[in-house]
Amino acid sequence: MPRLTAWGRLGRARTGRRLRGLTRRWRSSLQLRVLVSTLTIGLVALALLGVYVGESMSAGLFEARRSQVLAESARSTQQAQEIFAASAASTYDEVALLLEDVTTAQRNGGSGERDVFLMRAPGQTGSLGVRATATDRTRGDLVSRELKQAVSAGGQQWQSVAIPAADGGVEPGIVVGQDVDVPMAGTYQMFFLYSLQAEQDRLDFLLRTLTLAAVALVALLGGMTWLVTRRTVHPVRRAAHVADRLADGHLSERMRVHGQDEMATLARTFNEMAESLQDQIHRMEELSALQRRFVSDVSHELRTPLTTIRMAGEVIHGARGDFEPAVKRSAELLATQLDRFEDLLADLLEISRFDAGAAVLDAEGRDVRDIVLQAVDNATPLAVRRGSWLQVDLPDQRADADVDPRRVERVLRNLLVNGIEHADGSAVEVRVGVDATAVAVTVRDHGVGMTAQEALHVFDRFWRADPARARTTGGTGLGLAISLEDAHLHGGTLEAWGRPGRGACFRLTLPRRAGIRLAGSPLPLAPDPEAAPTATAAPRRSTDPAALPDLPPMTGEIAIVSNATDPARTDVRVDVHVDDPVSAADDLGRTS
Amino acid sequence: MKGRVLVVDDDTALAEMIGIVLRSEGFDPVFCEDGDEAIGVFRATQPDLVLLDLMLPGKDGNEVCRLIRGESGVPIVMLTAKSDTVDVVLGLESGADDYISKPFKPKELVARVRARLRRSDEPAPEHLSIGDLTIDVPGHRVERAGRSISLTPLEFDLLVALARKPWQVFTREVLLEKVWGYRHAADTRLVNVHVQRLRSKIETDPERPEIVVTVRGVGYKAGVAGT
Repeated sequence: MPRLTAWGRLGRARTGRRLRGLTRRWRSSLQLRVLVSTLTIGLVALALLGVYVGESMSAGLFEARRSQVLAESARSTQQAQEIFAASAASTYDEVALLLEDVTTAQRNGGSGERDVFLMRAPGQTGSLGVRATATDRTRGDLVSRELKQAVSAGGQQWQSVAIPAADGGVEPGIVVGQDVDVPMAGTYQMFFLYSLQAEQDRLDFLLRTLTLAAVALVALLGGMTWLVTRRTVHPVRRAAHVADRLADGHLSERMRVHGQDEMATLARTFNEMAESLQDQIHRMEELSALQRRFVSDVSHELRTPLTTIRMAGEVIHGARGDFEPAVKRSAELLATQLDRFEDLLADLLEISRFDAGAAVLDAEGRDVRDIVLQAVDNATPLAVRRGSWLQVDLPDQRADADVDPRRVERVLRNLLVNGIEHADGSAVEVRVGVDATAVAVTVRDHGVGMTAQEALHVFDRFWRADPARARTTGGTGLGLAISLEDAHLHGGTLEAWGRPGRGACFRLTLPRRAGIRLAGSPLPLAPDPEAAPTATAAPRRSTDPAALPDLPPMTGEIAIVSNATDPARTDVRVDVHVDDPVSAADDLGRTS
Repeated sequence: MKGRVLVVDDDTALAEMIGIVLRSEGFDPVFCEDGDEAIGVFRATQPDLVLLDLMLPGKDGNEVCRLIRGESGVPIVMLTAKSDTVDVVLGLESGADDYISKPFKPKELVARVRARLRRSDEPAPEHLSIGDLTIDVPGHRVERAGRSISLTPLEFDLLVALARKPWQVFTREVLLEKVWGYRHAADTRLVNVHVQRLRSKIETDPERPEIVVTVRGVGYKAGVAGT
């Protein structure tokens, strides 16, 4: 029955949803929790109290009635005994009549109505067997054998019984018995049956009243709890709301202060906190503006003379052919060191801009694959010089994300330059991955690699894994630190992985829209040791024929290009995999 | 084609150095050190191009830029030590065609100056239409329904570049290369700002552009011709 199953599943899903909704409300509402727990505790306490009161009331009522009944029946028995003793009955008929008379007389002898039974005591074998008498014969069997036995042992005895009522129910009752001596006929037993229905009615009425009182009390308790928690929780909720608004940047938001109580104190201190927060932020903003101004000024002040020096240096450098060797070499040194100085100054200013919080994200919707291709294009000349090559693996689908293309390109440039410099002439692999929330780019080299400890420090400013090596490769030592700041500015991450001898991998992960919190990354950071290179049948097209060496199209994934020992192989290969005609055309347009 | 270049910069050393470089390339540099005097010197010398420092005593660079743009379409290139978005965009919005960040190399400076002066070398007679505009390329005139619209040379070049291939979507990088003469992708904000300025002059409703259309995520293209 697929239909039924479907309905069943739907129903289960609905119930599940409702349950989850309730659980959520339970967790989120303090008021609900306090209310429910107060009501539960109140109900349990009242129920226990009710049981105790009911029990003791019923016991008290029963005890009082019982002692009254016992005293009364003792007196009646005494009376009957006296009548029997004074009687002069001598024949069977006379005795029978006597018994009948006494029974009827005793019926109305006590308080309220009672039934009277006169029965022959068990074990009596006298010659004159007058039969038993009773005011109501139908109830004779309410006198049990055990009671009869007990009575024949002597004294007054009693037993609780259930009397069948006219309406089919039962009434509580009590039977009291005692021996009497009847002349001529021997020992008889006289029983009185009392109904306790009146007591029962009274008890029922009391219990009903008590229950009503309990219900009223619970309702009152619930109402009061609700009111009190509302009065307590409401200001807290308002405080939470105001705090939320403050967190959203509405710094002038305040709570209303009523009266002098604790809630007013909460509101007042909250407002004070907000005030000092606003103050603090205002001061920080001023400081930041000052810092920004300072950075801007320093930048201008330093850059103008540097421009003059740089131009002068270039002019001298351009004319170096006319100089003697020492002066010529000096001109060359001047030129190269000016380049370095300029790079360092630019990076320093950039990082101080980040520190001042003056860095602004100039985001636009872009296909990250295009930016990667651009960065790869720009890094290719360096790869050629280093005897390394770049290998690009792009996904078929667009990798659109709101990014600042200038910053992303700078991050990629830094990663690529870093990868190429550490690749020692092997391939640098660039991969782009995309999922619903994020775009990731990994840059992997197979050079000397680094330890896990070093991988923790690569983003530190001016940190160098190997000081001796760094001197020759240049770079300002700020590139990766700036890249990390750039990634953070996007709300993204930049991570490093490395093992000595196995190379290093850097992964940039960017959220596709502002405000997305990254939970993971579309690409793995550390290479999977088990993953063997798999060949894909997907056709590959190279987008940039001009920049490509004339080689047959590649079909491998990553590692197939690693036969780098082949001397005939050209040192650069930009192996690009793009199936999107738009961006391919775009790319061609750019390079034409 | 060598032209006269007005260098407005209060740093005399830098101005002199720029002068040396320009002169060695055959240009004719004239100098001005003060923002207040800049417009007067401009009128007196009638330069083919202005190199303008942003931070000047007296009137600042943006102000001077606006004044010059108010009476001439002469190419203006800003010299800026600030690469903060706000500063650059502000400069471009006050009418500059291009900017060079300090520190720059002499070659870079000369290349930019050449790129801005080069444009009058294309004689081919050509009439284009884009949207409801007609463009007379050699005559440097843009008309809508017989009424002439005044554009700066750079805005004109941008419009012509789009109008020549109305079927093509231009990325910002391609436009930078075609119109500004950059070899490598530089600052695409240049394109954004100038497209805005161009729209404010040629679009009937700049809020809903019909002639220069944005293609989200890619760049710009010309609107449907002949409508």
